[in-house]
Amino acid sequence: MAQIGVDDWVAQSGGRRDGGSGWRKLLARADSRLGWWPRLALVTLAGLIAGQLLTNVNLQTVAFNSLLYAMLALGLNIAVGWAGLLDLGYIAFFGLGAYGFAVLSSTATGASGSGGTHLPAIESIPIVILIAGVVGVVIGLIALRLSGDYLAIVTLFVGQAFMEVVNNVDPGTLGGVNGIFGLDSLHSFGSQVTSPLGYYYLALVMTVVLAGILHLLDTSRTGRAWRALRDDPLAASAMTIPVNKLKVMAFSFGAMVGALAGTLFAAEQNTVFPTNFTANILILIYACLVLGGVGSIAGAIAGGLVVTIGEQMLSSPNDAGYLFYGLILIVLVMRIRPWRNLAAVLTGVIGLGFAAHALAGAISSAAVAGAPGSGGSIGSAVRDYVIVPANPATYGNILYVVLICALVVIVRLHGTRRLLAVVPTVYIAACCWEARLIVNPSITTQIMIGAILIVTMAARPQGLLGTHRVETAEQ
Amino acid sequence: MQEFIQTIVNGLQTGSLYALIALGYTMVYGILKLLNFAHGDVYMVGAYIGYFVIHWFGGPTALSIPVPLLILIMFALASTGCGLLGVAMERFAYRPLRDAPRIAPLITALGISFVLENTVLLLFGGFTRSYQTESFISATSGIHLGGVTINIVEIMVIVVSVAMMFGLRQIVHRTTLGKSMRAVASDREAAEMLGINVNRTIALTFFIGSAMAGVAGVMSGLAFDQITNTIGFLAGLKAFTAAVVGGIGSIAGAMIGGIVIGLAEAFSLSYISTKYADLIVFGILIVTMLVRPQGIFGRPLLQKV
Amino acid sequence: MTPLLELDHLSLSFGGLRAITELDLHVEDKEIVSVIGPNGAGKSTVFNVITGIYDPTEGHVRLAGESITGLRPYKITRLGIARTFQSLRLFLNMSVKENVKAATYGKTHATPIESILRLPRARREEREVDALAEEVLSFFGQRLMGYRWDQPAYVLSYANRRRLEIARALATRPRLLLLDEPAAGMNPNETHEVTELIGRLRDELGLAILVIEHDMHVVEGISDRVVALDHGVKIAEGSYQSVATHPAVIEAYLGRDPEALAEE
Repeated sequence: MAQIGVDDWVAQSGGRRDGGSGWRKLLARADSRLGWWPRLALVTLAGLIAGQLLTNVNLQTVAFNSLLYAMLALGLNIAVGWAGLLDLGYIAFFGLGAYGFAVLSSTATGASGSGGTHLPAIESIPIVILIAGVVGVVIGLIALRLSGDYLAIVTLFVGQAFMEVVNNVDPGTLGGVNGIFGLDSLHSFGSQVTSPLGYYYLALVMTVVLAGILHLLDTSRTGRAWRALRDDPLAASAMTIPVNKLKVMAFSFGAMVGALAGTLFAAEQNTVFPTNFTANILILIYACLVLGGVGSIAGAIAGGLVVTIGEQMLSSPNDAGYLFYGLILIVLVMRIRPWRNLAAVLTGVIGLGFAAHALAGAISSAAVAGAPGSGGSIGSAVRDYVIVPANPATYGNILYVVLICALVVIVRLHGTRRLLAVVPTVYIAACCWEARLIVNPSITTQIMIGAILIVTMAARPQGLLGTHRVETAEQ
Repeated sequence: MQEFIQTIVNGLQTGSLYALIALGYTMVYGILKLLNFAHGDVYMVGAYIGYFVIHWFGGPTALSIPVPLLILIMFALASTGCGLLGVAMERFAYRPLRDAPRIAPLITALGISFVLENTVLLLFGGFTRSYQTESFISATSGIHLGGVTINIVEIMVIVVSVAMMFGLRQIVHRTTLGKSMRAVASDREAAEMLGINVNRTIALTFFIGSAMAGVAGVMSGLAFDQITNTIGFLAGLKAFTAAVVGGIGSIAGAMIGGIVIGLAEAFSLSYISTKYADLIVFGILIVTMLVRPQGIFGRPLLQKV
Repeated sequence: MTPLLELDHLSLSFGGLRAITELDLHVEDKEIVSVIGPNGAGKSTVFNVITGIYDPTEGHVRLAGESITGLRPYKITRLGIARTFQSLRLFLNMSVKENVKAATYGKTHATPIESILRLPRARREEREVDALAEEVLSFFGQRLMGYRWDQPAYVLSYANRRRLEIARALATRPRLLLLDEPAAGMNPNETHEVTELIGRLRDELGLAILVIEHDMHVVEGISDRVVALDHGVKIAEGSYQSVATHPAVIEAYLGRDPEALAEE
C-alpha cells in the first residue's frame, strides 16, 4: 500500500532504477534512446542478414520454425497478454488455419486423390483467416458466459474437440489420423515459394508486418481498452469500455493470427497431421510467450526464437551439452554473489566431480564403465568427471528423482547452506544429464518446456522482456 | 435391455471415478480459486503406483498376498504418494504465487502437468502397461442381474467412491479441519486473523484431494486395465467438466456431475458412436454453461465492488 | 422540470437480504448532493445500482427523464454518469495518462483497422484524446502533470490515486459525477483540497455531483442537499443543518439514546 506524502520519493524512483552500475546503466540508456520502429528495423535487418548466412537447409528450417513460433506467440499474446484471457484453445485455430489451407489448396480432397481445390494463396489465406475469425467470435461468445477460469477449461476442450473432429469427421476430406498430403506451395500471381529459405524470408516479412500491426493496435484505443480490462474488468466497464465485446475481439484477433501461422506452416510442411496440433504444441507456444514476457511484442518474438533454437539444440547430442552446462553456468554467475563465493562453488563443483569419479572408479570399475551421453568436445571433457555406469538407465532414473528433490530443497535453503547444497546438486545434475536426460532428448525437451513455465512464473513472471506488473488486490 | 443395464453400470463406474477426481478440483478451486490442471496427472501417478504395487507382490499372475490386502495396500500407497505429491506441488509451485496475477498459477499448473507426464514417460517409458486385473479378480463373479453381471470391480469402484465422498462430506461439515477449510475458502485473510493456520489448511486440502485422485487412479487401473502416462489429461478435463456441471465448490455437485458425465459418456459409447463421446461431454459442458453457468448445485456469485 | 438523475422507488435485494428499500432520490442539474449514513447503510450499493453493476429488484433509475434501468455499466457511463470507486480501482499497470485515455473509449469511434492504418479519423481522435487527457489532468494543478504522465499508476501515492480516479471519470465527459468517499484516507490538507475541488468541478465544468462522504466537514462544505441512509432506507433529506440534527440520523450513527450519548 502506498503511503501518503511519498510524492518526492516516487518522483525519483525512475532515476534510482536507471541508476544501476556499469553495463546495466549503459544498456538501459541505449535502450531508452531507441524508438520502437528503429528497433523493429534493426531486428528485420538482423533477420535478413541471418537469411544470407543460413546455407544449410536444416538451419533454414529451424529459422523458419522459430519465426513461426514467434508469430504464434504474438497471436496468443493478444488474448493472454493484453486481454488477460487464458485461451487454451489457441492450438485449434493454428490447426484450423493449417487444415483450412490444406482443404483449399491441395489435391488430396479430390475423390480419387487427384483434382481437388487449388486456390492461390492470395485467396485461400484470407478465406481461412476470415473463417477463423468468425469461429473465434462464436467460441468467444460462448466462453464469455463464463468467468475467467471457466474460460480456460472450455477453451481447453475446444482444442480437444478440434483433434476429435479432424481425426473422426469425414476422413475422406480431412484424412483422419493420416492427415492430408500433397499440399500446394504458397502460390499467387504465377509465382510460388518452394525453398526453405523462401519460406524463411516469407515468415520474416510476415512476422515483422504482424509485429508492426500489433504495435499500432497496442497503442490505439483498442489496445488501451484491452489493457484496462486486463487490470480491472469492472472499472473498465464503468469507464465506457464494452468489456465483453473487447474480450471477443481479442479472442477472435488471436484466432486469426493463429490461423495465419497455420496456413504458412501447412504450406511449408506440405502436409498436415492431427498430431501437429496437440496440447504439447500449445504448451510449447505458451512457453515461448511466458519466457519472452506475457504482454510484450518483443518478448513474444524473443521467446519464439529462444525456445525453438533451444529445442533444436537439445535434439543434437553435440550441442545439447552447451545449452545445459551453459545454462547452469549462467544461473550460477547471475545468482551467486560475491565473486569469491562463485569461484568457491565452481571449484567445489569441479573438484567434487573428479574426486567422486576417481573414488567410484577405485571401488568398482563397473561403476564408471559407461560413456557420457554427450558427444563431441563436451563428451570427452566430462568423461572422467561424471559417473556413468555401463547400463545407466535405472541409475539415471534414480538420479533424476534425487535431482528433483535436491532442487526442491535448494529453493527452501538460504545463505551458506544453499551455497553448500548447490555444489552436489550441480554434480548430480551433470551425472543425471549424461546418464539419462541426453539419451532421450525429446522427453528432456518436454520436461524443460514444462520447467520453463514453472520457473519463469516463480522467479521472473514478466519473462525476459516483459515489464513488471502489480496486481489489483481483489478480483 | 441387457445392454441398457450394462451401460448404466458402466456409466456409474466411470462417473464415480470422474467424481473422485472432480472432488480434488472442486476443493482446490473452492479454497484457492485455482484451477489445478495438474490434478489429472496426479490421478495418472496413482494408477502407476497401483501398478508397481502389484508387481512388488509377485505380479498379477503370482500374487504373494491375498487380493483384498493387495487392494488395501494399493489404496494406501497411492493415496499417500499422491497426497504428498499434491502437498509438494502446493508448497513449492503454487504457494509462492498466491498473490501473483490470476493467470500465473494457471500457467504453472500447465507446466507441472507437462513435467509430471514427461517424468513418468522418462522413468517408466511410453508403452501401455496392463494391470491384468482378470488374472487375480474374476470378471464373472459379482451380482447377476437379469443376464447382466455387475462384477466385483464395478461394485468396488462405486462403493468406495460413494464411501469416500461421504467421508469427505463428514470432514468438511463435522470437523475443525472442515471448518477451517470453509473459512479459508470464504476469506483467506480473515481466516488468518482468526488464528486459522491457512498454509496448513491449504496443504491438507491438497493432500486430501490428491489422495482421492490417487485412489481413483488405482481403481481406474483395476477397472479399465490399461494405463499410460497420458491418461491424466482427458480424465482431468472430464472430471473438471463434472465439477463445473455439478457446480464448482459443491461436494454433492461433484458427485452428481461425475455421474452425469459418466452416464452421458457410457450412453454415447453404447448407442451413438465411439468416436464422439468426448464431443458429447463437451456439448454437455457448453449447454450447462449457457443454461446454468453456476452448475446444478452452485450458487451464483455476487460480484464484490 | 425533470431532474437530471431520478431514483424512483428503487429496491434491491440479494436473496432474502434487502439492501435498498423503496429509495427515492433525485439530483438536479449542477447540484451537489451528499449521501451519508453509517457503514453498511447501502450507500455504495446505491452507486452500484445507478451505474448498472447491480440490476435493481424493483423501481427505476432515470437520467434526464429517460430510464437507464438495467443497462450495462459501459452504456450508462456513455450516457453521462461517471463514478469513482471507494476501493480505488485504477488500471494499475497503465501510465497515468493512459488511465485517463482509456476512459475515452466510449467517446471515440475509430475501428481497429482505422487505428492500424492510422487513417485520418483515428489520428484526429488520438489527438483529441491526448489533449483531453492533459486538460483533465491539469485540473489538479501540478499534482498529476509532467513526469507523472508516463509513470505507471501503481507508483502513485494514495491521495494521487484518488485524484487520478476523479480525472479518469472526468475523461468520460459526464454530466453527473458519482464520487465514492473522495476524501477517505486523506490528511486534513488534502481533505480541504478535495472540498475545494468538488466545488470547482461544479462551477467550472458545470457538473452535477452525487457524493458519498464520511467526513462531515467535507459534507458541510460542499452540499446543496444531504440525504441520509440507514439499512437501505432514506431516513432524512434536506440541508446539512437539518439532516445533521435530525434525530433519526443521530440515532442511526450513535444508537438508541442520542441525548445520553451527547452528554458524555
